[in-house]
Amino acid sequence: METNQNTEVLCLEGLKKSFGDLLVLDNIDLRVTKGETIVILGASGSGKSTMLRCVNFMEVPSGGRIILHGEQVGKENQNGSRTYDEKSLSDLRSRVGMVFQHFNLFPHMTVKQNVMEGPRTVLKCDQAECERRAKLYLDKVGLGWKADAWPSELSGGQQQRVAIARALAMEPDIMLFDEATSALDPELVGEVLETMKQLAEEGMTMLIVTHELGFAYTVADRVLFLSKGKILEQGAPEAVLINPKEEATKNFLRGHGSFRLPEPNLD
Amino acid sequence: MDYQWDFSAVVTYWPVLLVGLKNTIILAAVCLVLGLFFGLFVGAARYSSNRLVNWPATAFVEVFRNTPVLVQIMWFYFAFPIISPIEVNAFTAATLGLTLNTVAFSSEIYRAGIQSISKGQWEAAKALGMTYTEQMRRIILPQAIRRMVPAFTNRAVELVKMTSLASVIAYGELMHQAKTISIIAFNPIEMYTSVAIIFFVLIAPLSLLVQRLEMKKRKSS
Amino acid sequence: MGYEWDFSVVFGNFDLLLLGLVNTLKVTGLALFFGIPLGLVLALMRLYGNKALRWPAGFIIEFLRSTPPIAQLFWFFFALPILLGVEIDPFSASVLTFSLQSSAFFAEVFRGGIQSIDNGQWEAAKAIGMTRNATLQRIILPQAVKRMIPAFLERAIELMKTTTLVSTISYSDLLYQANTIAQSSYRTLEVYTTAAAMYFVVILACSLLVGRLEHRLGRSGEITRG
Ligand SMILES: Nc1ncnc2c1ncn2[C@@H]1O[C@H](COP(=O)(O)OP(=O)(O)O)[C@@H](O)[C@H]1O
Ligand SMILES: [Mg+2]
Repeated sequence: METNQNTEVLCLEGLKKSFGDLLVLDNIDLRVTKGETIVILGASGSGKSTMLRCVNFMEVPSGGRIILHGEQVGKENQNGSRTYDEKSLSDLRSRVGMVFQHFNLFPHMTVKQNVMEGPRTVLKCDQAECERRAKLYLDKVGLGWKADAWPSELSGGQQQRVAIARALAMEPDIMLFDEATSALDPELVGEVLETMKQLAEEGMTMLIVTHELGFAYTVADRVLFLSKGKILEQGAPEAVLINPKEEATKNFLRGHGSFRLPEPNLD
Repeated sequence: MDYQWDFSAVVTYWPVLLVGLKNTIILAAVCLVLGLFFGLFVGAARYSSNRLVNWPATAFVEVFRNTPVLVQIMWFYFAFPIISPIEVNAFTAATLGLTLNTVAFSSEIYRAGIQSISKGQWEAAKALGMTYTEQMRRIILPQAIRRMVPAFTNRAVELVKMTSLASVIAYGELMHQAKTISIIAFNPIEMYTSVAIIFFVLIAPLSLLVQRLEMKKRKSS
Repeated sequence: MGYEWDFSVVFGNFDLLLLGLVNTLKVTGLALFFGIPLGLVLALMRLYGNKALRWPAGFIIEFLRSTPPIAQLFWFFFALPILLGVEIDPFSASVLTFSLQSSAFFAEVFRGGIQSIDNGQWEAAKAIGMTRNATLQRIILPQAVKRMIPAFLERAIELMKTTTLVSTISYSDLLYQANTIAQSSYRTLEVYTTAAAMYFVVILACSLLVGRLEHRLGRSGEITRG
């Protein structure tokens, strides 16, 4: 057996974030082990996006520690605060993949160029390696055949899968999904969730913000419920989704009436 | 650079500059008022479906938008008097050139502004039984003009800058006065620096206003 | 009106007018050549510089936009040479003035174009670890420039019109040639009308081109104004 230390990919300790006077994240502690799929739930404004964005320093935390593979990000100053230079942040972000609600593909590049952009510009891979990764990860999301298309020629679901391939091409240690299906027409949600599920099965470490409770139930190893910037409740999907302890969690789940448990297995 | 700046002549000739400033403001104000006034009619004419009305208006606008304003002023000063029944002095020529130029540009602003109002507004007004003129005056223009304010302010900025061109035909506005003084007092550096600063002080507030208005417009839309 | 039109002096000197037109295009072209990159630099300073860059850039842009070009030209032609103790010929003064003058306007076009790009593009590039410079170069500017093309051309047309000012410091552009011919022939009406017509043809052709482009880009929803 490996020790916990070796399999821990990400560790948040007392993570705090405020915007001016508004405290958005309040002492978040979280340990994520390799291959774990964690779904984060919470009402709008509870700080889910901010939490993900702190992990790859799209937002600089106001306090606490973020440890990726045993290394703390940034340099410590004498007074205990930390500074983050562009190089180390770029380095961190290249190891943390992120997928947004609004795919944000680069419209002036083809699908393949989108996927190759990170390996080329950030990782300085040679052409052959960029091509290899583009092919590999586009095939993985089932879009190898669209390699030469422009983003505007794809459906929303396809665009989001390209965005996933673009993040995967960096071969990150962990993937973050911020409401990756919220901007999609209902009939396109399935293909993206399917891709995410496949990644989970292949052992990718993932932090997923979603409102798809059915997906959370079947795919998550652990579910967190965030309320007012705190982790109010966490545990196995059955525990949090079926038998929530906290009133706020119950209210939240009541608001998502369309959530139905998977059919019981009767054979 | 060991040049010794000496602004004393600027102080000595201040009254002369003041006359220039006054003339600059008069020229700009006259052309702005006339330009915006007649611009509305030309804009309306371009909007008309009658070709006899809209073609000449279009030709006028295109000619004045697609030739340099200095050429327009020179034309009115040197060429126009030959066929003109009236005396053309520098002020008249500058006023003609700058006014017609402003008419052409502002007519486009009116047109764009009116076109930006949705069809539904015309229809709603029509459904109330208003005539075309009433629809225009009571419903469309009040909405459109609000949207046009930044563009008109911008026109005013351009116009104040353009008045300096009247110096080329020796109309005694700010630039011309400065040129004259600089020759008498041998101080082109101080003179042209001062005049640039005066223009800046005159125009910058308008410029900033345009930016404010545009930002507000962008936010509200 | 009893005036007898006589265009013979125009025909006789048409080569001079054409030469003037070439000189007009020369000053315009050079001012664009220097003004556009300089405008980009000013825009980047204003958008992303620290205070020591942002403020001067903002001031330079506002100053150049808020003073009449003729005042700038006279300053560079009559004042600057004394200040520096060197001679500056009309051509150099013209190119210098209009490069700087147009750079201020191009800076604003660049700024508008860059700011029009959705913030999600920055975020997506950041998320794969791209630095700000790389993002600007590879993601933002390529998209922004495409949207700015019509605004660029519009500014270029304005610039060409403004270069008529060089005639006032005796650089032989089209208007200067017209002045010369008109004064020596007394056929001011014909000469100035012809010069105006020549400007009209060139500028209208450019305007129509801009209109075309705007229409095409506008249809694909890729357009911003400067
Ligand atoms: N850049 C920002 N500046 C100021 N407030 C912000 C910013 N980003 C988020 N917030 C605020 O932080 C709170 C949490 O936002 P967010 O993390 O986006 O919530 P969620 O993703 O759970 O809906 C909200 O009240 C939001 O208004
Ligand atoms: Mg969110």
